[in-house]
Amino acid sequence: MGNAIEMRELTKTYGRNRGIREISLTVEEGDMFGYLGPNGAGKSTSIRCLLGMIHASSGEARVLGCQVGRQQSEILGRVGYVPAECFLYPAMKVEEVIRYAARMRRMDCTKEADRLCDRLEVDKGKRIRELSLGNRKKVSIVCALQHRPELVIMDEPTSGLDPLMQEIFFELVTERNKEGATCFLSSHVLQEVRRYCRHAGILKEGRLVKADTVENLIGASLRRVRLSGMSVSELPSVPGIGDVSREGEDMVFSFQGEMQELLGALQGLRIKDMLITEPSLEEAFMHYFSK
Amino acid sequence: MILAIQEIKTNLKSLLIWGFCVGGMCLGCLLLYESVRESMEGIGDMFADMGAFSAALGMDKVNIGTLEGYYAVEISILLSLGGAMFSALLGAGLCAKEEEGHTTEFLNALPLKRSRILAEKYAAFLVLLILFHGICTALILGGFGCMGEPPHWESLLKYHGAVLFMCVEVGTVSFLLSVWSRKRPVGAAVGLAMALYMTDLMCRVVPALEKAKYITPFYYCSGADIFSGESADLLVWGVGIGVTALALLGAFWKYARKDLD
Repeated sequence: MGNAIEMRELTKTYGRNRGIREISLTVEEGDMFGYLGPNGAGKSTSIRCLLGMIHASSGEARVLGCQVGRQQSEILGRVGYVPAECFLYPAMKVEEVIRYAARMRRMDCTKEADRLCDRLEVDKGKRIRELSLGNRKKVSIVCALQHRPELVIMDEPTSGLDPLMQEIFFELVTERNKEGATCFLSSHVLQEVRRYCRHAGILKEGRLVKADTVENLIGASLRRVRLSGMSVSELPSVPGIGDVSREGEDMVFSFQGEMQELLGALQGLRIKDMLITEPSLEEAFMHYFSK
Repeated sequence: MILAIQEIKTNLKSLLIWGFCVGGMCLGCLLLYESVRESMEGIGDMFADMGAFSAALGMDKVNIGTLEGYYAVEISILLSLGGAMFSALLGAGLCAKEEEGHTTEFLNALPLKRSRILAEKYAAFLVLLILFHGICTALILGGFGCMGEPPHWESLLKYHGAVLFMCVEVGTVSFLLSVWSRKRPVGAAVGLAMALYMTDLMCRVVPALEKAKYITPFYYCSGADIFSGESADLLVWGVGIGVTALALLGAFWKYARKDLD
């Protein structure tokens, strides 16, 4: 099985602003990949580089085996893209926008578009300017999926959708994934990634800090440690400790490293109780960001 | 040509408004000639002898007392200025409106090369300009028909061809501005059209500014010059063609390298 997305030291700088730095990432064909990071981490910048909307400062990327930049229209013909903010032509009717997107691809997607509109409860007769953000998002989803793309790139696709529509949206995406399409989901909603993705990458300040299976990201050697009976100032300085907080009488922190080392450092301290658990994805995420 | 057709549809309302307004004003002024014919015949010589003012408007070359002279001096200003403003606005909106309306992401996620996007938009611009001139010319010919005095066809054809090319030049430069801008450069485009018109007036009046005739496209489409049988030298046309070509190439060059918002 080949790679749907390959980024090699992909960098985009905006003068002093951050952009992305030396991102190297591979997404296998057929995968459902979560791309995690807070606002401004560089998720959208990476996606725009892949779609050829912005030009990378250095590094290279391939999508579905085609080189980004040189074979852009071939890439775009095989990709469906759901943007974070869906701006469409306000004066056009929904059905006109959907048909326009299909005709630009030289395809008749009427049947699939109708099916998607039914599932997402899209009113095709309305004009775009009459639609709420959520309904514009639905139109965008139809435009991105109607041609049955091999790769679906989604940038915060559920923002603006109500919970019921979010469920239906992920049903549609999962269906496409089962049919063989690769799905690249950029999100800061950890639940979505944990629930639907097999692999995930975590971006921080424009750099990819970790990419692995979701299972490993949660598990790995990362643990959540809860200690009772001691103050934060008493916590020994051990490499791997992060995301320290107080919860009532307890002190809670994440730890990644040799447990033996931590236990050795805690020896002799006035600890009443100690609980070590596997972290949730949220906690894993916070751990990488508190570093 | 799906994108070009969509672009034409989007601008159809604006085309009809501008076409019928400018063409309608030209028609109205032509019909008005009947009521001012006698006074115009009387003051024709006076207008021709008003020094710099006459030179600026070309009244020293054609007799404003005749319908043809009246058309070449008075109505040509309406058509030239109206056409230049329309083409400036049209050109300025073609690309920048996508970024201003944040529809760039939708458009550029479709499998079209950037050069194709730009080529289709420019094709739509040319079609819209031709339609605009078609509407205006039809109304003007209607006016001549109502007046019962057919114009000098060759001069009329030359004049309308020159105005059309002037609009293409002004619009193409505005199109270049549109590619460089994130917001519609309406002020810059209309300002440019007005400045070029003023340059034409000035270069006809101030001898020191004579060379400015190579800058302004209004120079080669002067109604008075064309109807009096004069034609601009080839260098003026050459500069016009060169500016248009460079602006178009610049637009393609920039759009291919631009980071889209």
